[in-house]
Amino acid sequence: MERMVQEREAGATVRSEPILSVRNVHKTYNLGRVKVPVLHGVDLDVAQGEWVTILGASGSGKSTLLHLIGGLDRPDKHTNEPASMRFCNRELTRESKRSLDRYRADDVGFVFQFYHLLPELSVLENVTVGGMIKHGRLGYRTRCKEIVDRASGLLDRFGLSHRLRHRPAELSGGERQRVAIARALINEPNLLLADEPTGNLDLRTGESILDAIIEHRRDAGLTLVMVTHDERIAAKSDRVIQLVDGRVEEA
Amino acid sequence: MLAMAAVMLSVATILITWSVMGGFLKTLIASGKTLVGDVAIVWPNVGFAYYEDLIERLEADELIDSASPTIETFGLIELPDGRIELISIKGVEVSSYSDVTGFADTMWWKPIDEPTSKDHEGEDIRLDPQYRQMFEGMQANGLSMTRENLKTGHIEAAGVLGIEVTGLNDRRVWGGYYPWSPNRALPNGGTERLDVFMPRDGSVGLTILALDSSGRPIDPVTRTIPIANEFQSGLYEVDQGTIFVPLDVIQRMLRLDEASKVEMVRDDENPFEIQVDPVTGEIGPKMKEVVGVDPARVTTVLVRGVDGAELEAVRTRVREIYSEFADAHRGLVPDAINMQHQIKTWEDLNRTMISAVKKETGLVLFIFGIVSFTTVFLVLAIFWSMATEKTKDIGVLRALGASTPGIAWLWIRYGASIGIVGSVTGTVIGYWVVLNINAIHDWMGRTFGLVIWDPRQYYFVEIPSQVDLSKAVIVFVVGILTCVLGAAIPAVHSARMDPVKALRFE
Repeated sequence: MERMVQEREAGATVRSEPILSVRNVHKTYNLGRVKVPVLHGVDLDVAQGEWVTILGASGSGKSTLLHLIGGLDRPDKHTNEPASMRFCNRELTRESKRSLDRYRADDVGFVFQFYHLLPELSVLENVTVGGMIKHGRLGYRTRCKEIVDRASGLLDRFGLSHRLRHRPAELSGGERQRVAIARALINEPNLLLADEPTGNLDLRTGESILDAIIEHRRDAGLTLVMVTHDERIAAKSDRVIQLVDGRVEEA
Repeated sequence: MLAMAAVMLSVATILITWSVMGGFLKTLIASGKTLVGDVAIVWPNVGFAYYEDLIERLEADELIDSASPTIETFGLIELPDGRIELISIKGVEVSSYSDVTGFADTMWWKPIDEPTSKDHEGEDIRLDPQYRQMFEGMQANGLSMTRENLKTGHIEAAGVLGIEVTGLNDRRVWGGYYPWSPNRALPNGGTERLDVFMPRDGSVGLTILALDSSGRPIDPVTRTIPIANEFQSGLYEVDQGTIFVPLDVIQRMLRLDEASKVEMVRDDENPFEIQVDPVTGEIGPKMKEVVGVDPARVTTVLVRGVDGAELEAVRTRVREIYSEFADAHRGLVPDAINMQHQIKTWEDLNRTMISAVKKETGLVLFIFGIVSFTTVFLVLAIFWSMATEKTKDIGVLRALGASTPGIAWLWIRYGASIGIVGSVTGTVIGYWVVLNINAIHDWMGRTFGLVIWDPRQYYFVEIPSQVDLSKAVIVFVVGILTCVLGAAIPAVHSARMDPVKALRFE
């Protein structure tokens, strides 16, 4: 990897090899007969353990970029210079659907603004479901105790040990988001993608959620790409980029 | 829950329909065979002679177990309440007839040696120890077709009557009968209590039209027949319109018994030939002379093959034996060529009825199958709606790394689970309904006045209530497959859903 990125940690700036490298990514949505271009050649490098915040106006393509990085969607192919999205030396644009599924299960954790917990499952089950998907039903059975212990540990760490058997509907917004973060972390991913994780919470709860993420990131050396509108949150991150007219501008 | 209820109802409906109709067919076949044996040699109306020789030849064959002569005809029966009805009359030689058919088992008034729970629940009168001796006597009477005349003390030839013929036996819900004494309306406006128990003191009047040896009707003959016992074959049509009488009695009534053969022997050249009476010495025109013996005849010989013998093989053998018999009595019995189509298996004899029921069973199953097939669409609609409702959850699972087949498999498994639970409950309900169908039917009749199963239309006095295990397994598996099939399209739809669109779904 030729490209190097700057990393700011505890006031020091270091250069390290990027874990994620995005080049020339375009994305256009077809809304009926109308084509709506969202990303116009995004270039982005994210170093191992770095916290990058993406700022941008509504509809600027922040979530689209997050979905592309997370392998939920694929960039356009029509440009002369093909798009490239490398993660740990894997070219995601050339990966099969199956490989992208594995990539999401093994390396990526998603946190959404609206939590997206499964309403029929308990708090503990909402977290362990990630382990079940990663290991399959049979693999889950053999690792059941290990996964449940890890889920319980995460929930305990997020102050939810007394809520394990509760349903999401019985939890507050902050508690639900903590469960969603625990779910994203259950498989110990390298990359956490958070789409406005505090956007639906009041200031105080949002702060506590952010603290939980920061603490875990510090302990686990997690790489974090976060989309937010909140500049106060952005100020805490290692690096802030801005999406303007579908392109990245360093803030 | 809705999908499960749909599967449950479909499974139960199909199982009940298939079991009842299948049982209906099975009972029909069994009942059809009960009073016929395997093969019947039939020469209706005038019958055929030398049947003892034919039976001897048949029973000498290693493929044939036994054979029995019978006469089948129709007549009028006068019942104890004065009604006169048309009746099928079977003249049988009771011991050989019991060997060939299941006649002895159909005898109703007899002690029950191995009572079923149904007999106990119904407090069957035949279980009452105080009547045991009486029923033993009635059973013996039925099997010998005789009864003691209570006035004279003589033993008389007696008949065995279908249990439903007189209307003097009250059929209970559990399938048993109790004798009862209804009131009979009299012409003067009064009523009279009919205190008659047929096997004890009942008798009927039988009127039949005798035929001469060429098949022409002679004068009607009426005779009072005491009743030795009553029978229940389970086939309503038979139980309601048949009487068995001793063969010799019916032979005499029909003039099919052995008789002297008389002819007018004249001198062709002298039409005014006279003769002298050897006793009185009087002279008169020449009368008929006994020229030989006209042997007794029967209309049918029933044949039973040895255990395990194939029906068609038995028929072929019977045809061969009849050919030999016809050769031995050439000109005196129907020839073998004419008789070929008159040698019928019990299936041939009941073919019209069995074939009709088979077609009816198929048709009913087809219709119910189509109706139940709508379950697939019901499950599909329910699962489609669920898949739409769960769009965001599907997006979340995809974001967590769930694969396309994984999502599809999730729905299929869910469909299969609903199918299993629905099929299990449907099978249990169907099984329970079939086992209790007669009690349920009776309850519906009592409560709502709804009588769906009228024995006069459906041949049988009881609705068949046995579940065939193989049918239950088929219905169970199809129930699960129905649900899986209904879940398959929504499963594929969910699996192919764009995860980004799913996550943004409102």
